[in-house]
Amino acid sequence: MKKLLFYLLLPAALSAHLNIAVSYPYIGALTKAVGGDHVTTVVLAKGNWDPHFVVPRPSLIAKMRRADALIMNGGQLEIGWLPPLIRRGNNPKVNPSAPTFLNLAQGIELINKPSEVDRANGDIHPAGNPHFHLDPNNIPLLAKRIADFLASIDAEHKSIYENNLADFTLKWGKNLERWAQVMAPKKGMKVVQFHDNLAYFNKAYGLENIATIEPLPGIPPSPRHTLEVIELIRAEHPCCILHDVYHSTKTAEYIRDKTGIKIVLMPHDLGALESVDTLSALFDHLTEAVTHD
Amino acid sequence: MKKTLIAIPLLCTLLFADAATILPVEKRTFEQSKFIPDISLILDASYVTRNKKDDEIAHYEIPGVAHGIIGAHAHGEHSHATYNAANGFNLNYGELVLSSSVDPYFTLDGTFHFSENGVEIEEAYFTSTALPYGLRLRGGKLLSNFGRINSQHHHYWDFGDMPLVYQAFLGDHGINEKGVQLQWVAPTETYLMFGGEVLQGENEMMFGTASIADPTATDPDAAPLAESADAPALFVAYAKTAVDIGETTVMPGISYARGTSRLDHFEDEAPHAFSGMSSLYGADLTVKHYFDSYSFLTWQSEWMMRDMKGTQYALDTNTTTLGSASLRKEQAGYYTQLVYAYNMNWRAGVRYDSIYQNDVTKNGAVQEMEDGFDRISAMVEYHPSEFSRFRLQYNHNTALYNEDGERQSVDTIMLQANIAIGAHAAHDF
Repeated sequence: MKKLLFYLLLPAALSAHLNIAVSYPYIGALTKAVGGDHVTTVVLAKGNWDPHFVVPRPSLIAKMRRADALIMNGGQLEIGWLPPLIRRGNNPKVNPSAPTFLNLAQGIELINKPSEVDRANGDIHPAGNPHFHLDPNNIPLLAKRIADFLASIDAEHKSIYENNLADFTLKWGKNLERWAQVMAPKKGMKVVQFHDNLAYFNKAYGLENIATIEPLPGIPPSPRHTLEVIELIRAEHPCCILHDVYHSTKTAEYIRDKTGIKIVLMPHDLGALESVDTLSALFDHLTEAVTHD
Repeated sequence: MKKTLIAIPLLCTLLFADAATILPVEKRTFEQSKFIPDISLILDASYVTRNKKDDEIAHYEIPGVAHGIIGAHAHGEHSHATYNAANGFNLNYGELVLSSSVDPYFTLDGTFHFSENGVEIEEAYFTSTALPYGLRLRGGKLLSNFGRINSQHHHYWDFGDMPLVYQAFLGDHGINEKGVQLQWVAPTETYLMFGGEVLQGENEMMFGTASIADPTATDPDAAPLAESADAPALFVAYAKTAVDIGETTVMPGISYARGTSRLDHFEDEAPHAFSGMSSLYGADLTVKHYFDSYSFLTWQSEWMMRDMKGTQYALDTNTTTLGSASLRKEQAGYYTQLVYAYNMNWRAGVRYDSIYQNDVTKNGAVQEMEDGFDRISAMVEYHPSEFSRFRLQYNHNTALYNEDGERQSVDTIMLQANIAIGAHAAHDF
């Protein structure tokens, strides 16, 4: 009888499970890749909406309430929407001071740190550009941080997380080789963006962003600035406008009509476009978008 | 010898020169700038034009419900203007917000209103961050979570003024009290929150605890008309839930407040006072649909009903005679508003206010009272950025009566500016 109880209890112990709340879909994918069967990820933001302006719906409060841990991007990308959810979730495990909280920006070298923090320069991120997951070379670093984090809060499955990390890193390395090969001819190519959320992608592959359609971060395009962009496009002949999926394309279409430049939609996360459902699909799409002629 | 005398201080200067070196921030031993709280300052100003003069409108009232709800009014020893009170320019306030973690267990938030009339602590409270089981405790001076709009700061509202039923029942600040608040978020898939508050009960329109002195008494030691009530004397409870249907969120809530009423208006032009118990019932519904990251449609409504039961005292200023009567007021109203945000920059909205029930019973006899107090508002709003906002609002108010008991038609146009510097203010849904 005692043996029976032992065997009944065993499966429950082995399948001990973490409910991880994550701010963005890419973090969910990484956490799932590393955590495997021992974690369930709850993604707070939709991949096709502006990551700065996620709606802090009450349904997300319910998710925060039940989370065992929280992983966020950081770099102030979530500053407009995550603090109210943390405040209202009434869950000490998602507090920034808790060991069950992970800020991925700490541990990543952010680029484009502003020399002056001033709202006159638009709604800037004081710590630098927070869209670091769009450098595919950063993905293994982020995966390792998540693996270390999961091991620190669930030591029992440390070896499983380490094995999953090793598998993921190996596969990702092959992807990196393929993308580097495909992107090599595009080094030095000039591009225009609406918002500079592809700074890391551009840097990884040597693309040169010559202008953004928004004059300053978070400030809508003005007619004067739009004309300046048009003049610059006529002078520099960039390949295309790499446009995010969440801002209106109206201004970009106006610029295309005036200059003939191509508009290319660039997803920033899983779910940004329907076909982008995995991390590798995200970078497959990004690399194909700028190499397809 | 002279050379030696000159050389010594120079030598000393060189020896100690290192002490004057300014170390980089990270090497200063007692550097504490990282512990500065989040600070922001929000300026709220307006230009108002009405078809009535300021001194006229100060005497308007909603019969049986409230008086002096537009314009400055004296109350006891202090005088404070309501928002957007004067024709012409108004500097409503500069709101200073300070916010930070205290330790792993608490956060501290303070909201201070600076105006020409002085400084007011609007909110100052600690909030627990480490309680288990979905609990959160908050204590200090706070805006109650009664209803929907009560807990939101003025600058966050979609319209420049309080809904009529709130103004009439609770005044411009709603339930804003010293006390404690406990909230519980249920561990369910669907959002479900229950809360309770124990508050001092000093709201000047509906709740109060101070004793009411007899204005006709010549003896300074005479017994008061009404003894002071034991404080805390206001209790609030509410339940809120929300469901998402696609990109639409439906968020209903119910609220209840009960407390002692000690309302001393003997210094008013029509001197009177009320002593009793009051209940306030609320139901709210917000439906919000997002079209994309920046555009949405919000339909928000709140219904309120109050039941005030006690004794009314009235001073006849001609005969200096004090009369008293048992009084019961059962009054109800609501507002409903629709706001459309076209994009990140432009919004427009309409609002309809109504106080439709005004039942007053005096000494058991039903009084003949006017009802059907209405107001309609429309607004257009422009946000140059996240940190500044300009709103043009029009109000048509037929809820007000003058001193002769004649219904008035008050038309107001307001141009409001709301401008913030400092830390990002992240708002709830």
